Amino acid sequence: MKSRNQTITRRVFLRRSASGAGWLALAGVWPGGAAQRNANPFAYDLERVSKTDPKLVRYEQAGRFACPARGPRRLALGPGDRLYVAARNGVSVLDREGKRLDHIAMAAPARCVAVAADGSVYAGLRDHVEVFDPKGGRLAAWESPGKKVWLTGLAVAGKDVFVADAGNRVVLHYDVSGKLAGRIGEKNKERNIPGLIVPSPYLDVKMGRDGLLRVNNPGRHLVEVYTANGDLESSWGKATAAIEGFCGCCNPVGLALLADGRYVTCEKGLPRVKVYSAEGVFESVVAGPESFPENARAGAQYDGSDGLLGGLDAAVDSQGRVYVLDLVAGDVRVMRAKA
Amino acid sequence: MSGGSGIPVHRRQFLRDGARAAALAGLGGLLGLAAGRSAGAGTVWQIDPQKCVRCDNCATHCVLEQSAVKCVHAYAICGYCQLCTGFFEPAPNDLNTGAENCLCPTSAIKRSFVEDPYYEYSIDEHLCIGCAKCVEGCNRFGNGSLFLQVRHDRCLNCNECAISKVCPSDAFRRLPAGHPYLLKTMSH
Amino acid sequence: MRRASEILIWRSQNQGQEMDTAEYAEKGPRRPGFPRIARIPRFRPSGLRTSFGLRIAVLLLLLCLSAFAEQRFPPPDFVETSHQLPATAAPAARGVYYQYLDVAVLGAALGAATWLVAGRRSRRGVVALSMFSLAYFGFYRKGCVCAIGSLQNVAQALGDSGYAVPVGVLAFFVLPLAFALFAGRTFCAAVCPHGALQDLVLLKPVKLPSWLDHGLGLLPFVYLGAGVLFAATGSAFLICEYDPFIPVFRMSGRALMVLAGAGLLVLAVFVGRPYCRFLCPYGALLKLAGSVAKWRLRVTPSLCTQCRLCEASCPFGAMRQPESGKPGPTLLAAGRRRLVWLLIVLPLLVGAGGWLGGRFSAPASLLNQDVSLAERFVREGDTPPKTGAPTSGDLALERARQNPKDLLAEAAAIKHKFRLGGWLFGAWVGLVIGAKLISLSVFRQRTDYEPDRGACLSCARCLEYCPYELTRRGVISNRSDPAYHRTLQVT
Repeated sequence: MKSRNQTITRRVFLRRSASGAGWLALAGVWPGGAAQRNANPFAYDLERVSKTDPKLVRYEQAGRFACPARGPRRLALGPGDRLYVAARNGVSVLDREGKRLDHIAMAAPARCVAVAADGSVYAGLRDHVEVFDPKGGRLAAWESPGKKVWLTGLAVAGKDVFVADAGNRVVLHYDVSGKLAGRIGEKNKERNIPGLIVPSPYLDVKMGRDGLLRVNNPGRHLVEVYTANGDLESSWGKATAAIEGFCGCCNPVGLALLADGRYVTCEKGLPRVKVYSAEGVFESVVAGPESFPENARAGAQYDGSDGLLGGLDAAVDSQGRVYVLDLVAGDVRVMRAKA
Repeated sequence: MSGGSGIPVHRRQFLRDGARAAALAGLGGLLGLAAGRSAGAGTVWQIDPQKCVRCDNCATHCVLEQSAVKCVHAYAICGYCQLCTGFFEPAPNDLNTGAENCLCPTSAIKRSFVEDPYYEYSIDEHLCIGCAKCVEGCNRFGNGSLFLQVRHDRCLNCNECAISKVCPSDAFRRLPAGHPYLLKTMSH
Repeated sequence: MRRASEILIWRSQNQGQEMDTAEYAEKGPRRPGFPRIARIPRFRPSGLRTSFGLRIAVLLLLLCLSAFAEQRFPPPDFVETSHQLPATAAPAARGVYYQYLDVAVLGAALGAATWLVAGRRSRRGVVALSMFSLAYFGFYRKGCVCAIGSLQNVAQALGDSGYAVPVGVLAFFVLPLAFALFAGRTFCAAVCPHGALQDLVLLKPVKLPSWLDHGLGLLPFVYLGAGVLFAATGSAFLICEYDPFIPVFRMSGRALMVLAGAGLLVLAVFVGRPYCRFLCPYGALLKLAGSVAKWRLRVTPSLCTQCRLCEASCPFGAMRQPESGKPGPTLLAAGRRRLVWLLIVLPLLVGAGGWLGGRFSAPASLLNQDVSLAERFVREGDTPPKTGAPTSGDLALERARQNPKDLLAEAAAIKHKFRLGGWLFGAWVGLVIGAKLISLSVFRQRTDYEPDRGACLSCARCLEYCPYELTRRGVISNRSDPAYHRTLQVT
């Protein structure tokens, strides 16, 4: 054993202290390197497109209420500016502030709803349409159009009812008695119809004041304009994550029409609601992804009944207010145009 | 404690025998207690795709060099889109397989044309690192047909999965070895 | 309160389904004193607790339910090419019977080791078997599941009534201990891959000073206590995380652990089996079991002439010197006084240890994932979510924000467990220190040089050096050895 008081040479002392300092430096650098791992430069980052330029937002929120029905999917406006929300246990009728006025119970979840001018309610269950009178009594249950039916959109205009069947990628034209009158949107080379591509169950149909149908074609990122006979009049839309186009793989998922023929489109993935001109030129933003943080992060979750839960739906009332239904958060926002 | 010449040995032996009997009884009790609960079969680790939040820890925390967690495709749920958001970057320059447009850092997801306008996407597990970028893109914008699963031809089935310790959504579960996958299927 | 079988049916029916707190509170089972959690907890194999009949009932119920299962939105029709959808590959896990094979190999190896040490007394056989164990349990099975780690599974089963230990893992825990109770630590000698690896590199054994040997010998007990504490609370499997040789078997692992393993192996070139003697928590259990073993290894077959060759040959310092006769009256009195003093100090040590353990239980509980998330939530829960790509920590915090009440309740329950466990752990450490001090003061009468039953790893090196053993084997002849004749005259 060496004695404690043994002296060491300067050289030995310097050598030992240098090696000790080297070890300490190594020990310091090592955990420091681990801290760098938190910021991943290759992470999937949508920050660039998640922010909306405030100058483009021309609507402000006038109200917001939670939807009393569970699992809402579509909303429509009826006479007297009443809101009809198709949800898991049927169609709920709400007033403008979200108070429940009535409820039409159904055995299966209602996926889409449209209200005629006389107040009769057309509700699309998964594979067939049911008709109710304004009081909520069932008038008719139409038979299912066939196999692989998945109804996601309804529009009523006069004597015609248009049913969007996402499962068969077609819009069915019925009359009010339930008789099938035609099929719109199917791929047809002679009529130059490219066909609807619907990767996820979000096909919507709306009738404009000019008597032309507007159908979204999510797989092609287009909004198509059809006559009631099924002729394709025009289409517009661009596939881009930028604000003027439709993001992701299948958008828009919802349509609404303003009184002057302008479009209100809803998208999922980057949940946003935008206004386009009647010719399909981007105009303004109703609500951007910042307004729907829960919806943005939801992803393709399952709500236990039919699969995908996500996206938005919109409807316009007689005064031009836009009602935006958030399927993930389960609430409705009332947006009015800024002065 | 010391004592006479012969006696300590017998006392010690008695104590020893007693301790051994107690230990055996304890082990037997343990066996009985555990056997009452257990029903045999081994269990393996698996990710619950409904809970996964696509955080990228699966690629970095597995004890193996190349993670045992890989992306898996549920073909029946896919939309076969031309613009697959699990394949392409959020804002691709063009819809081709150029690296600048693709999301996958290792080019593990392959795109093949089926018929107009449908494309099929499949994962090459040798290249996949389990980073969940494609899963995030698919679940965010699409149908969610891509999801992460622990592959049992690679997983070592550690007693405590290192990834499960850091999973932010607690998505790791133990499943019986006979049914080791939680695949997304057409019916649920 | 619902019965256990109802709880189990409810659980298996609801596996994999999201449910919010309100639904769970409304419909979920309630166990007294048990926090209601909205997710199926970790480490809980689904349905493994049920009896056979109940499992059949559950299976039938699930089959009926699946008939009513909802379909998802169908994929597009491929009309032009009639393309068939490929199936998702699902490579099977290692068959269950392989686990039973592992247990069978373990049992056979233990039996062979015991026979080789006690029956054949052959070092070569022990070496050969240890190489086989290294190859099979080490490099083929990658060291998992091992007996050392299995004690955590058992600890968790004791601490958490919902956890079921797989039978194979339980066998890995019980079998070596059962053999040790009868034949000593034959598991360490020839079956444990960690030990075999260290034995492989032991080239120049160095004797450690006895104070170091005894002092470091307390560490396995402390590690055992810590491992049991963290496993029983379901926080972490420390022994698995900090096993230095598993990265060697897997040929991959965390940089820190690879370096630690390499470092230990370098140390093992000079210090015999450092992990086994100074770290292995299962070794602590085997030491306790071995010390009450029925049959002990006796080095010399006939007489011990105190040549001390066996003591020199043992690289693990497990040989004990013989003590003959009683010590003198003064020494005896001093010894008795010391023993009494130690017996008084023992409960003080236990109490002090327990108190310290209780004090440190709060920071120790932070090792638990749920507790640290809850703490983080309490600190940062109100700050708005960050922009940019979220890190996994942010995602976890978001999950916490979704149902904070359940998370906080669960964290409180775990912290309560830690408080109790911390006291027990601290008391255990105090007990170990006190017991070690007492055992050092206890007089043991021994006539021959023989291995300490608890510390002896049954490696059979000593048998290769004892001249009487070698004579018995016929390796050396005793005819020309005068000492042998002298001993013959004596006996």
